[in-house]
Amino acid sequence: MNAAQASDVASLSLPPGDPGGGRLTALRRAIGAMEPTGAAGDGGAVPVGPAPIDGVLGGGLALGCLHEIAAPREAAVAAATAFALALAARGPQRAVVWVAEDFGLAESGVPYGPGLDDLGLAPERLVTVAAAKARDVLWAMEEALCCGGVGAVIGEIRGSRGIDLTASRRLSLAAGRRHNLALLLRTEPGAGASAAVTRWVVGHAPSGPVARATGPPRLALTLARNRRGQLGSWTVEWNRVERCFDLAPAHREPVAEAVVDRPHREAS
Amino acid sequence: MSAGFATAPPLPARGEREKTGRPPLVVAGRHRNVEQLVAVDAAAERLGLVPGLALAQARAMHPDLAVVPEDAAADHRQLDELADWCVRYTPLVAIDPPDGILLDISGCAHLFGGEERLVHDLTSRIATAGFTLRAASASTIGAAGAAARFTATTIVPPGAERELLQPLPLAALRLPADTVAALARVGLKRVGDVLGLPRAPLTARFGPQLLRQLDRALGREDEPLSPRLPVAPYVAEQRFAEPIAREEDVLGTAERLAGRLQPLLERRGDGVRCVELMLFRTDGVVRRLAVATSRPLRDPKAIRALFVERLTSLADALDPGFGFDLARLSVIGAEPCPPEQIGLGHDDHAAEIDRLVDRLGARLGSRRVRRPVAQDSHIPELAAGLVPAQAIASTQAGWAEFRHFARAAELCPRPPRLLTRPEPIEAVAAVPDGPPVRFRWRRALHEIIAAQGPERIEGEWWSEDGGPARDYFRVEDRLGGRFWLFRAGLYRLTTTPSWFLHGMFG
Repeated sequence: MNAAQASDVASLSLPPGDPGGGRLTALRRAIGAMEPTGAAGDGGAVPVGPAPIDGVLGGGLALGCLHEIAAPREAAVAAATAFALALAARGPQRAVVWVAEDFGLAESGVPYGPGLDDLGLAPERLVTVAAAKARDVLWAMEEALCCGGVGAVIGEIRGSRGIDLTASRRLSLAAGRRHNLALLLRTEPGAGASAAVTRWVVGHAPSGPVARATGPPRLALTLARNRRGQLGSWTVEWNRVERCFDLAPAHREPVAEAVVDRPHREAS
Repeated sequence: MSAGFATAPPLPARGEREKTGRPPLVVAGRHRNVEQLVAVDAAAERLGLVPGLALAQARAMHPDLAVVPEDAAADHRQLDELADWCVRYTPLVAIDPPDGILLDISGCAHLFGGEERLVHDLTSRIATAGFTLRAASASTIGAAGAAARFTATTIVPPGAERELLQPLPLAALRLPADTVAALARVGLKRVGDVLGLPRAPLTARFGPQLLRQLDRALGREDEPLSPRLPVAPYVAEQRFAEPIAREEDVLGTAERLAGRLQPLLERRGDGVRCVELMLFRTDGVVRRLAVATSRPLRDPKAIRALFVERLTSLADALDPGFGFDLARLSVIGAEPCPPEQIGLGHDDHAAEIDRLVDRLGARLGSRRVRRPVAQDSHIPELAAGLVPAQAIASTQAGWAEFRHFARAAELCPRPPRLLTRPEPIEAVAAVPDGPPVRFRWRRALHEIIAAQGPERIEGEWWSEDGGPARDYFRVEDRLGGRFWLFRAGLYRLTTTPSWFLHGMFG
């Protein structure tokens, strides 16, 4: 908080003798005015796709804020990466900057142009930054967010420590200045306090049965924290042709087997 | 043309007064299977020891000799550092092995008050650093080298090369040793002996090099000097009567020098792509800071901002010692710079991205900020790569052609992240040509429930070490993880092919 906002809080005058409830709502309103709420009306939003998810988010992932996307465990970081890349591709149509540590790139792989094309992110838009230390990753993310030509910044942090409250606050302030999308990609879900407006845990989900071949990829999304209140879990399917997410049915179809006696056929 | 020459023997001699009681110091090395003296200090020279004497003989003459083994690599490095420092006088500096440095001071001697004062300044500064040296200045490289190595003169006036060279031995012409030996066998020992002889028989008997070196030393033929470092097209420098040490002063100097270069660049329509700031310390050490940009720049403030980032990224502090007394900004790479365009929205974004790339590159290193490019290869890890973003503009990356090719060839989906090296896995396949049913990767077992493939990608059959054919499969395991694996090679009676994992899908 800078000095002006601090003085606003100090000079907030409450009518004496007010019941506690009124004071609380006034305080809530004052604090809400200072922080980005993550409401879509602030600066636009990046829709995830399916209506239920966007409804919970209020239109989509809000621009000008920090969002955290974590993988349930390190081996499943590819799912979280794909989700982050798909969102970055649908964000503001400017450059995308992906900042990662050297170790992360060696463990999970470097960005591959043809694959990015499949997710809808044109490789011409991408600039990758390899940093030696986590501190350099945060500095590079902040620099990129302050640049007007950048639409989305993905920062990859490994480990469960993640970043502390001050660093995440700096990132969200930097994103707020230029209204770009700040995504923090983590290899493990974090538990500490963070200035991120939404927190996701994205893992793999088995794809629907399509005659022994791999069907369209599916992701298991879990909204673990949402400033606007509602949380939820969904399974979405990536539509390769239209390059968007669709809501996948909750159960695998068909529910029952065909009524024909085929003892040699394996159960699907 | 006037050339200065300085020789520095490999052994630094400390001061003029040697301490009595210390044994004479020599450097010995093995040449032609004989341990001989390579260099001697003043005390040893007074005792009659010269380079070339056998070490055993020297030890017999003076049993209390202190011997240091020869280290040619270290000597060479020291000579390189000294040559780097000599750049403060002129950018045209070359090394004359084994122990000499050549400076071309034509045109810059007046900045130091004349040749004599330049030579005196050079000699005194290097001597303060602890070296013994002899310096000479002449109109040709050959004459300057001969004067410095074989005589005590410091200035050779133009036209006096002939009388300088006459009494000197033939080795002063920098001829190979066997030519000198062959000439000695026929009785030609001094340059004066060769000067008057007819030219054709000399060339026929001893080769063209003898007369070429003679002509070059006398000035009849031109000898160019190939400088160690490329000469920068634009240079601005500033000397300080009071050496500067603070970082803000260094940055302010860089901005001021860039401001001085700006009108020169504007006149030619050039912009800076790569600029280097050289800071010369009073004690002889040179610090260099280089920054590169994505697009040609002229603005001094932008150049200063890049140096700010570069200074922040230095692992150790700038370490000015007692201060820098000379700062020089040289433009190593310049490109035509279009006049500034104002107001076009898209170009503004591209310009801002370039500036961001410059800032990130100045702090982290230009190789760490990269862009994907499409390359002409069918092997997946070569089909696309990452190149430094400053080297290539996004429009030249070749992705339009790649998309065209992918559509035409109906390329199978590729993973968004590719491992830099395919990791070997243990896989069991149901049928020899089919996908694996389970595999073990990074100590975890994955059961495969669905697979798509094979996509066969042949190795580069036109090169000798092109790899085996690869059959790529997209597999999905029980938990939903999707992997891109391949089998390198085919099953044969004698060989089992190996399986690798190349990437993961979302």
